[in-house]
Amino acid sequence: MKRTGPVIFGFIVGMLMLIQHFTPQPWIADRYNNVLDWKQVVFGVTLILGVISLFFYHWKKVEQRQAGWPYSLLTLAGLVFMILVALIFTPERGPYPWMFDHVQAPMQATMFALLAFYVASASYRAFRARSFHAALLLIAGVLVMLGRVPIGELLGLHHLSSWILDYPNMAAKRGVMIGVGLGMTATAIKIILGIERTYLGKGA
Amino acid sequence: MSRARLLILLMALGACLGANSLGSRAGAEAAAADDDSAAVAAASAETTPSGWIYPERWPTAIATLLFGALILGFIARARRGQELYIRRIAGLEAVDEAVGRATEMGRPILYSPGLDPMEEVATVASVNILGQVARRAGEYETRLIMPNRDPIVMTVAQEVIRESYAAVGRPDLYDANDIYYTTQSQFGYAAAVCGTMMRERPATNFFIGHFYAESLILAETGNATGAIQIAGTDSDSQLPFFITACDYTLIGEELYAGSVYLSREPLLLGALKGQDIAKAFILALLLGGTILKLFGIDIGTWLRE
Amino acid sequence: MAPDRETAARNAGRSRSARLAARLAHVDRRLIFVVVGLAVALPLIFPLNLPIQSSREARAYFDALEGLEAGDEIIFSFDYEPDTMAELDPMSMATLRHAFRRGIQVVALTNYAGGAGIAERVLSEVAAEYDRTYGVDYVFLGYNPDYSATMLRMGESIQRTFPTDHYRTPTDELPLLQEVDRYAEIELLVTVTASALAEYWIIWAGGKYGQRIIAGNTAIQAVLIYPYFQAGQLDGFLGGLKGAAEYERMIEVDGAGVRGMDAQSSAHVLIVLFILLGNIGYFLQRRAERAEGSQ
Repeated sequence: MKRTGPVIFGFIVGMLMLIQHFTPQPWIADRYNNVLDWKQVVFGVTLILGVISLFFYHWKKVEQRQAGWPYSLLTLAGLVFMILVALIFTPERGPYPWMFDHVQAPMQATMFALLAFYVASASYRAFRARSFHAALLLIAGVLVMLGRVPIGELLGLHHLSSWILDYPNMAAKRGVMIGVGLGMTATAIKIILGIERTYLGKGA
Repeated sequence: MSRARLLILLMALGACLGANSLGSRAGAEAAAADDDSAAVAAASAETTPSGWIYPERWPTAIATLLFGALILGFIARARRGQELYIRRIAGLEAVDEAVGRATEMGRPILYSPGLDPMEEVATVASVNILGQVARRAGEYETRLIMPNRDPIVMTVAQEVIRESYAAVGRPDLYDANDIYYTTQSQFGYAAAVCGTMMRERPATNFFIGHFYAESLILAETGNATGAIQIAGTDSDSQLPFFITACDYTLIGEELYAGSVYLSREPLLLGALKGQDIAKAFILALLLGGTILKLFGIDIGTWLRE
Repeated sequence: MAPDRETAARNAGRSRSARLAARLAHVDRRLIFVVVGLAVALPLIFPLNLPIQSSREARAYFDALEGLEAGDEIIFSFDYEPDTMAELDPMSMATLRHAFRRGIQVVALTNYAGGAGIAERVLSEVAAEYDRTYGVDYVFLGYNPDYSATMLRMGESIQRTFPTDHYRTPTDELPLLQEVDRYAEIELLVTVTASALAEYWIIWAGGKYGQRIIAGNTAIQAVLIYPYFQAGQLDGFLGGLKGAAEYERMIEVDGAGVRGMDAQSSAHVLIVLFILLGNIGYFLQRRAERAEGSQ
């Protein structure tokens, strides 16, 4: 029952969600709304699960003085501080929005900004015309990169760049999307029918 | 109180709160319905279509049934023992080599399942491949580190890895602290994984799942540490970055075929073949439709009419 | 062996051209990082004021909002976090300016926990510019965990999906939400996102409920969105900071999008130059190796 129960439950709910897309019957729409309600509840609870896991992971590192434990202590301090601040002052006013605007936002923006540097170094390292296909990719990449900014428009590359995006790129992208779509549908059917049971923790 | 009991208590509490909310909402709706039930019924009758199926969704329904039948048909064939061919996928052939490299160097393996939640197909496929990678890591006694962005994925991954180690007779290798939750923040997760790579210096990195803009940061950092990297994603906007910075990349559907390829389980192989036949059918439709369009026959409009 | 001695040993027997080729093909990444930093920073300090042309998809995005009338309602989803704020804030602000200027009412939400702070800031800033009243001209429903359930549920009832707004006011007490409660009553849905959420909006809100959608994406995600725009499933979109700059020019209010164009142009040109440099080094190296091999 430990293995079969979830599979049966998954089949019932999966078929319900599949059928409701095709039928306008109100009783199915009501069950569909119930499932969505429960989905939100479960998701909220799993966030708590994540916070607890995070807490115990870093607590163990601090307790056992493992390598990098001061950073774990900082993580725990930040976690507890933000929770307390939100509970005492509410998330809408006081230290919480200040910390968000002046600490979290700049840190996250900095991580994303790293991409600019990594794109430059990765492009320099990887875009070598080692073969005909690589040369073709290189030329297309250069044309699109220049055509998508004002300086490329001054050079008259805007239309060529748009053509590359609208036709060859679109064709390749659609091909991948069709394949991915079929793969997703097949995997969903396998999960609903109980053929795919990875979510139960089955190892192989 | 043990951690497991605390988790169960919290989930039960959440379920009760949710049920209470549903109940009170249902009560409020019933009260509102009592007040103006006639108006509600009239409005509902006007907007809700009748019948058992939306007329415009018939083609999708038929296509879904046909596709499902194809999948089941090939699964039945696979059950009867028919040999089904699957082409070589370089990235998956390299899994053994990659795990072996980590063993020889005495360094761990890092596995990132992507950023999507468990309900997404790419994550399901990633966890399938994780099971195979964990088996090999267990056989070679190599440490497997897995930072997660989603707590449910973390929980499933812990179970998968524990069972994989047990399946190869090494349940003692399992350490729950190596499969951990980091943060829900996209770049917070990227920073955590990069930090792990710089500190632990894994010899092998697996980036298997659905990734977003952080993919290049992860791949470049891994490249800088000298690890062998195998990536696989159905996110076509991130494929160029993985192809650039990783040694092997599984493109699109190859990710979904991953667990089938590594396990060679007949049921999964059958489903993969069914998928391939459906794709061939779609290709035939596309080609036929294009040729007809060249002759001025718009088959799409005709079908819609 | 230390890198310097290793390099010296390797170069000892090589010709001058071979050494030059090796240097061109293996520029230290730290040097690349410094040069990229300067290429981005300098045009921000010394603007070039390059001209900006409108693209077809940005024009369609503009037209979708321009075609609405005063009193029409839109859903605006802030589906991004502070990491992509620099690229997406200009789109959000320009869209809200366009909407408020035309008297369009906005029902805002976010599918990211980190998006709530951004949404509050942007909404309050732009609403103050146009003297718009909360609850009447715009509302902010806040963050709901589980985006898929949120997108699907809003097709049935917005109030049921969000029983209270971000400020814990019951949504059935907000004047704006007395007029609209699901997609069928909303003229347009706008999503500004750095992830694949635009696709999910198209699939669930657009595919299942027939909702008209326009999207603002980071440049990298914009490539993903092109097929939907071409197929008519998306009514318009803005791609990256360039898209934001085009839109700012169309609404005649220059902002961070326009200001960032010079820096983006110089960064792109620099990357192209580095790629060319790397290839020159690569080919010179190959030629030198062949020459050394034949000797």
